[in-house]
This record gives sequence, structure tokens and C-alpha cells, in this order.
Amino acid sequence: MNNNKPGRIIRCPVALYSVLMALFALMLALPFAPQAMAGDSESAAKVVNPGTELWREVRQREAPRAGATQVAGMDSGVLINIRGEQWRQFRMEQLIPAAGALMGGVLGLIVLFHLLKRGVRLEHGRCGNYLLRFKEIDRILHWYVATVFIFLALTGLILLTGRVVLIPVFGHEVFSVIASASKEGHNLFGPLFLVGLIGLLIRFVSKNLPAKGDLSWFLKAGGFVGGKHPSAGFFNAGEKMWFWLVILIGLTISATGLILEFPFFGQDRPIMELSLVLHGVGAVLLIAGVFGHVYVGTAGMEASLDSMTTGYVDVNWARQHHDQWAEACEAEGAVIAGAELAKKQRLRGTKNRVPDRPVAEEGR
Amino acid sequence: MITAFVDGPLWYFALVVFLIGVAWRLFAIFRSGSKADFSVPRRSGAVSAFMTSLRRFVPRHEMSPRIRLQVVAGYMFHLGLFALLVFAAPHVLFLQKHLLGFGWTPMPYWAFILASQIAFAGLLILWLHRLLNPVTRLISDADDYVAAGLTFFVMLTGCLALMEDFTGLRVLHRFTVELLMIYFPFSRLMHAFTFIPSRAYTGAWFGRRGVDA
Repeated sequence: MNNNKPGRIIRCPVALYSVLMALFALMLALPFAPQAMAGDSESAAKVVNPGTELWREVRQREAPRAGATQVAGMDSGVLINIRGEQWRQFRMEQLIPAAGALMGGVLGLIVLFHLLKRGVRLEHGRCGNYLLRFKEIDRILHWYVATVFIFLALTGLILLTGRVVLIPVFGHEVFSVIASASKEGHNLFGPLFLVGLIGLLIRFVSKNLPAKGDLSWFLKAGGFVGGKHPSAGFFNAGEKMWFWLVILIGLTISATGLILEFPFFGQDRPIMELSLVLHGVGAVLLIAGVFGHVYVGTAGMEASLDSMTTGYVDVNWARQHHDQWAEACEAEGAVIAGAELAKKQRLRGTKNRVPDRPVAEEGR
Repeated sequence: MITAFVDGPLWYFALVVFLIGVAWRLFAIFRSGSKADFSVPRRSGAVSAFMTSLRRFVPRHEMSPRIRLQVVAGYMFHLGLFALLVFAAPHVLFLQKHLLGFGWTPMPYWAFILASQIAFAGLLILWLHRLLNPVTRLISDADDYVAAGLTFFVMLTGCLALMEDFTGLRVLHRFTVELLMIYFPFSRLMHAFTFIPSRAYTGAWFGRRGVDA
């Protein structure tokens, strides 16, 4: 008896434990019993995973499906919006390669043109007499817009192409810092560009209205067709076209930028996407145009830069490129001798001084 | 390591240079004194000093058409910078935590953005005027460009670090601030402390002779 007691005590809990485990396993297996039984029959209906149904529902391929929510805001009822993926594909596969091709192509053309033509030289050299072309306020306005634009272009290109161009060079962590800084800077300086643009419009619109002779300037491609430089007033047709491109594209970029920067006024995702496309495409077009503008204003056309640094241009430059304006100025007696201008500007001894005697006399 | 250096030793060094440098410059100015004036004063020197200090906030009528741009841009930059320096939320917190022990209500985010845009536009216009105007270009030297450049970079790095998501951007801003603090006492940036005494001295000097300065 004494020998059996310990054995019963041990065996009894083991049996009880086994029974309990069996019941537990049976309980876990019960929900799968219908499937197991259905699997045996070929005619049984296929049971769909409810999770799959849910995700199929919220992740619509054609159009986002909005649910009901107490969260106020545009698209707040949409769990997953497939349009974001479409935009990402457009950006990575079309916009960035096209932007690179356009900007690279324009730069390539400029280099090619410069290698072949060496820019447009002054046919008769400098004469040493000057005409006032841009007042100080105009030059300040121009360089203000230029400075802000360069900053916006650099930060914008970092945001647009950084994933492709900068991450392979700097890595993800450094790029995240650069991208964050670029975004803050871009958003901060964006409205300053709009202010400058409105200033440009006010100051220069009257001189950029279409006028007689603009069409013939275009037909002669500014002198590249036919050999002779076409006649032009204060601004030629090419400069007018650039002005209106800057204004129209600039206003588009600014308006779309404001839509993107302040998403509080009920603009939904399609409007934001359209704004982003217009903003990106417009900016890339403007940057490509700026390459040409910078070239023509510096190495591409001799003595052009003076108009935006000192404000004065050589009379021979004016006669060659803006003959109608030069004639009108000369008729008014607005020509300033180099020596007089040097005194007026007190530029003697400075690096950027205007020559006080005709350069032709110095042996050029 | 760089973060610790910028937040620690460099910050204290910059603070000491700034405080001692400014105090030394002001002490040197006040110590220089002026010649004794034995004439009978036509007006009170103190009143004239006060009036001139206020009057110089508005350009003289004869000058205003010629310097309108500088005046407007100058006010844009200085008021914007003052608002950023004193009322930006990160600055208020910093001053409360590290220097003063008390704080005040900072300006909201939108006001920060607006103030910084106004300050940037003003600084840019002033800098361009300095470069493009033949007279200001002639009388400008390296100090003017270094001071303007440092101020610009301090403002820019501050705005780029606005989200406070990355330590690197905050440290960069603080580093430029410390460079500015070290440079400040030895440059024309001292006008931030001397413009009122300068106006007051001129006003008192001329006021005693019965002249509106």
C-alpha cells in the first residue's frame, strides 16, 4: 500500500495534465475544422482572408476610396492614396531624367556655341563714351531677384534630384540633413522671389511691350540669320521674350509654391500634385533659361555685363545691339564721356572703374 | 566631439570675448571724454541729446528722396533681426535656460517666418546697395563685408535649423553665432551699442550751441 501511494500521486497529475492539453489543442483546432472539412471536398467554397479584403478596399488602384472619420481635413478619410505612388514614379522616371537632359543639353549647347563663335564681340570696339542704361534701383532689383533665384534653384534641385544625385555621394544621413535644410531655406526664400518678381514687372513692363520691329528681329534670329544685326529699341525682341518668360513662369512657380507651402486652404491631393508638377517643370525651364541669360550677359556678349554692374554701357555697344535707343539717347545729348563718368562715379583707383579715355586710343 | 566643443568651450570663450570686448570698447569711448565747454549753453544738453536720439530715427527731409531705399531696407533688416533675436521661441528658451533664468512669450511660427523674410530682404538690399552704389562701394572695406556676411550666415543657419530635427544644423547655427560674437567687438557691428551714445553726444554738443542736430 505504501509503495502504491506515491505512484498514484505522480500518475494522477500527469493524466490530468494530458487531458487538459488535449482539450486545449482541440479548442485551438476547432476554428480550422470547417476549412479542413471543406478542403476535403473539391466543391467547397474558397474562404477569403478578411485582412486581404480590407487592404484591397483601402488601397484602391483606380481612385482613392474615402471612409468616414471624425478627423477634419482634406483626404483625412483616405487610408492609402495610390496617387502618391504614381507621382513618385513620374518624378523618378520622367521628371528628373527630363530635367537633367534639358539642363545638360542647354549647357552643352552654350559650350558648343561659345567654342564655335566665341560669343558676340563689339564690331568697333569700345569708344569710351557711355549711356546710362539701368538706374541703381533697377540693378538692385535685378541682383536681388538673381540672388534669391540662385538660392532657390540650388535648394530646389537638391530637393528634386537629391535622392538620385546626392545620396550615392553623401549617404542617407548626411542627405537627410541637407534636404531638411534645403526645404526650410526653400520655403523661407520662396515668397521673397515673388516680391522681387512683382518689382521686376512694375519696373520693366512698359519697356517690354511688343513693338514694331520685334517680328523682324525674331525672323533674323537676332542677327544670326542674314549676318546683319537687326534694329532694336531699349530691349530687343529676345530680351522681351525672356522678360515675359521670367514673369509668366516665375508667377506660376510662385503661385504653385504658395499652394504647396500653405496647404490650409482646402487644396486636395490632385491640386497639390498638379502644383508640384508645374512647380518642378517651370523651375527647370527657368533654370535652363537662366543658363542662357547668364551666358549672354557675360561671356556671350562683349561689354553686356556693364549695364548691370555700373549701369552704363559703351555707346558702341548700344549702337550695335540697341541702335534705336542709342540714337534717341544721342539725340537727347545723354552721352557721357568716360572721364566725366569716372569723376561722377568716383571710381578712380577701384578695380571696377570705368575707363576715363577711349579704349581704342590705348591700342585695342 | 565637435558638438561638445561648440556647445561648451567655444561658447564660453565667445561669450567672454563678446562681453569683455564690448565693455572695453564702450569704456574706451566714454573714457576719451570731451573738451570742457565754458560757453553759456543756449539749450539744455540733456534735452538736446534726448531729442537728437529720437530725431535720427527719421531721415532729414532734404535727404529722404535720395536715401529712401536705404532707410526702408535698413528698418526692414534691423527690426526683423531684433524680432528674431529677442522673440524667436528657440532664443527665448535658450536665454531662459542658459543665461537669464526667466523667459517671455515668444512670437508664433508665422511671425518668425515673416520676420526672417523681412530681415533677409532688407539685408540683401542693403548689401546690393553697398556693392552697386559707387559711393558706398568706395567707402566700404573688408569689415563691412565680413560683418554683413557673418550676420547673413547666422540668420541663414538659424532658419535652416528651424525644425530642430538635426543636431548638426543646430550646431552649425551656434558655431556661426559664436564666430559673430567673437568678431563683434572689433567691428562696426559695435554700432548696436554705440548708436544711441553717438546720437546723444552729437545732440548735446550742438544743442548747447543752439543748433538742431
